[in-house]
Amino acid sequence: MAKVAMKVNGKQMSGDVEDRTLLVDFIRDTLALTGTHIGCDTSQCGACTIQLNGRAVKSCTMLAAQAEGADIMTIEGLAQGDKLHPVQQAFTECHALQCGFCTPGMIMASVGLLKDTPKPTDEEIYHGLEGNLCRCTGYINIVKAVKRASQLMAG
Amino acid sequence: MAEVFKGRREDRRLMTGVGRYTADWDLPGQLYGVFLRADRAHALMRSVDATAARKHPGVISVITGADLANAGFKFPGTMVSYPGRGGQSVKVPQRPCLARDRVRFVGEEVALVVATSKLAAQDATELIAIDYEDLPVVAHPEDAVKAGAVQLYPDIQNNICFDYEYGNEAATDAVFAKAHHVTRLKIESQRICGNPMEPRAALVAYDAAADRYDVYTSNQGPTMFKPGLAYVSGVPPEKIRIMPLDVGGGFGLRSGSFPEHVVLMYAAKALGKPIKWVGSRFENFVTDPHGRAIVIEGELAMDQGGKFLAIRTNWLADQGAYLTAAGPLINTANGMLTLSGVYNIPVGYGRHRLMLTNTTPTGPYRGAGRPDMAYICERLVDQAALEMKIDRAEIRRRNFIPKAAFPFKNAAGAVYDSGDIEALINHALEASNWSSFEARRKQSSANGKYRGIGCATFIEPAGGGAAPKDQAAVRFEEGDKIALIAPITPHGQGHETAFPEIVARVLGVPPESITLRGLDPHHSIPLMGNGVVGSRTAMHYGSALKLAAGEVVKKGLELASRKLEAAPDDIEFKNGRYTIKGTGRSVGLFDLAREHRPDASHPLNANGEWTLSRSFPSGAHVAEVEIDPATGMVDIIQYTAVDDCGDIINHTLVEGQLHGSVLQGVGQVLGEIGYYDRSNGQFLTGTFMDYYMPRAGLVRNLQGHELNVRSPTNPLGVKGVGEAGTTGSLPTVVNAIVDALKPLGIQHIDMPCTPARVWEAIQAAQKH
Repeated sequence: MAKVAMKVNGKQMSGDVEDRTLLVDFIRDTLALTGTHIGCDTSQCGACTIQLNGRAVKSCTMLAAQAEGADIMTIEGLAQGDKLHPVQQAFTECHALQCGFCTPGMIMASVGLLKDTPKPTDEEIYHGLEGNLCRCTGYINIVKAVKRASQLMAG
Repeated sequence: MAEVFKGRREDRRLMTGVGRYTADWDLPGQLYGVFLRADRAHALMRSVDATAARKHPGVISVITGADLANAGFKFPGTMVSYPGRGGQSVKVPQRPCLARDRVRFVGEEVALVVATSKLAAQDATELIAIDYEDLPVVAHPEDAVKAGAVQLYPDIQNNICFDYEYGNEAATDAVFAKAHHVTRLKIESQRICGNPMEPRAALVAYDAAADRYDVYTSNQGPTMFKPGLAYVSGVPPEKIRIMPLDVGGGFGLRSGSFPEHVVLMYAAKALGKPIKWVGSRFENFVTDPHGRAIVIEGELAMDQGGKFLAIRTNWLADQGAYLTAAGPLINTANGMLTLSGVYNIPVGYGRHRLMLTNTTPTGPYRGAGRPDMAYICERLVDQAALEMKIDRAEIRRRNFIPKAAFPFKNAAGAVYDSGDIEALINHALEASNWSSFEARRKQSSANGKYRGIGCATFIEPAGGGAAPKDQAAVRFEEGDKIALIAPITPHGQGHETAFPEIVARVLGVPPESITLRGLDPHHSIPLMGNGVVGSRTAMHYGSALKLAAGEVVKKGLELASRKLEAAPDDIEFKNGRYTIKGTGRSVGLFDLAREHRPDASHPLNANGEWTLSRSFPSGAHVAEVEIDPATGMVDIIQYTAVDDCGDIINHTLVEGQLHGSVLQGVGQVLGEIGYYDRSNGQFLTGTFMDYYMPRAGLVRNLQGHELNVRSPTNPLGVKGVGEAGTTGSLPTVVNAIVDALKPLGIQHIDMPCTPARVWEAIQAAQKH
């Protein structure tokens, strides 16, 4: 067992976990932040994407212990109170989600993509979201939403 | 109705991480379950030794097949209620919830380990020792019918559990014998893993005081899910509550209950604690019902002018090692319902043999038999055009069911309610610039690429069901609010947005004042109905709600008459207000509602129901593709879909359904396959690294058009839309790929058209 501590959505959090605990399990089971989802066993689907020290990261690819001292944002920390983040706003306006299971990861990946590439081309969006799977939307409205978010963020 | 799309009502919770899918639920004192599964496809179980597992730290219990021998479980049945060839019924293989003496597919449930943590349970599964004696394996439907093939069950001859036929065999044979030309084709609609993004999971609690089970699990409607669970477990349905929750995708895979649910119910009662099981993606790959897995031989007879005279199809449909409840149904009825596609073909015959193999059981996956029927039919039509040297659109036009002939009875006796097929294809050809295609083919050719264009015209059944009617209720609540209650579990369709819009339009109140709820298990209104399957929910529950809303208006009129002291005939209802005609004296619906207690006895509460009906959405789709011979990569340049889904409730939601369903079809065409090693039944595509999934950018230019003919089958005039894109896209994209490869002399290529398979086909054709 190990004690791990990190900042999550602006608050200092800690917990005791088995050494082998994945970061995503720490977030979901120990911190009870269940907006971060698990959709596969092999780091392919991206449903668990979070921001770690400002970078989009699949939280199933690292151990909780490796995130010791990190600054993490999960989907629960993205909106400012009632005000949605521009990427969330764009996802709802563009009907970029259906069942919603991939959505938190898709939104966190899009936030990361737009941070690196504020005005992405279609190709850059396809490339940037390659690690996130969605079974419902066919991605067409997700791509639209990323572009719309880019506009909203440019103001 | 919704002119500017402002987002769905359900979006905020799903986008902010506060939606609650099955794995997000916890109950006090819960234990964790992990299943041990068969690691081989066919074997006798000599012994199961769980001694070491039971001693593992944290382990509370290990449940094996032997423990369940006296649990009183029944074996699951099938939804097929009609006879097959010669009056036979489906031979249903007995499936214990945990394997007892024999395993028949990789992934079959063998034991449940319950522990205080998931990790402890997982570790302990590895300590269970099973002495297996391997048996020979059959892992493909064509292998299963071969002489001398391994028999999965002693009492099911030749591994055929159902032989079903429809149409007129003798009359069809007679037409084929005399026809000017017969086109023949054999196609395979390969095994697909549906892969909803939410892995299957369940949390089950047993309340001893109330003698009641609470089941938290993703499902496609409690009224569809519960009966199977009650039947197998032997627990009366009224003692099981299916809890409402968010569901991360269904596509047909979540419609029935599974052995895991029954075993978890048993364990929750035996151990007196809630038990949570969250399946891994690998478990989903090998235990969620697979889709398709069908080999079809098709034949089309025609005269000199390309007029179709008869159609005949012969299906081998792989059911896997056991039957799912819906598997035999979708592999028979959905082919029968559209035997002659969109064509006026006087006679036809279909025969479906359902096979048992050492593979994961199959069941409904988006389209569920519809895409397979459209695929064989539309591939036959393209091939006939090629052989008869008739333009592909022209041969279709010569055979379409004319608009005036609807309602139209097809060669199998199914009645298509409405449609205008010729208008669909005309629109699709124009929107896709079909007529100028050859110039684009030349351009690609100059760049060393093969370009092709293909179309398909199709019709498919929507609606139907097992329960005779679907019921819904409108309930007035505190604070000028209305609740809609229906026994449904939405999983992406947008019902929480669309259904309030239906009722709001009738009541003349803002949709925001209306909320859709699933069945509240704590204050259950006894509503009957079917699941969220078969592109049927708007047709049936939407109609039930519209009728219930009409009832509210009627009841309100009586109250308004008393309030306004005027005869009902002198009062008109508009925009949510009752007004004495020709006067300014009026009272609002909510004004009347506020005068009564907002509970079950509220006088404005009303119920509605709609009896089982069936509509037939239709469409014409066109795909344009370019193939790079150096890599075999198929690039979809443009996809044009023209669909008739009847009257529309919300255009954005319809378009969303189209996008998703087209991409699922394109996934099947270009890459998806649940692949078994035919020699040993090992499943080789059990992760997202091995199984092809559509990714962003797979289809970049998808244009959807609506060309709707109102359906006369229901009060909303709607048809289904959930599966149309999948039904249309299989034949459309393959027809385009075959057209691209036509200059090489290639006349057919089977799905999935992976780069390797296309490259090999090109290489072989060039050598030839």
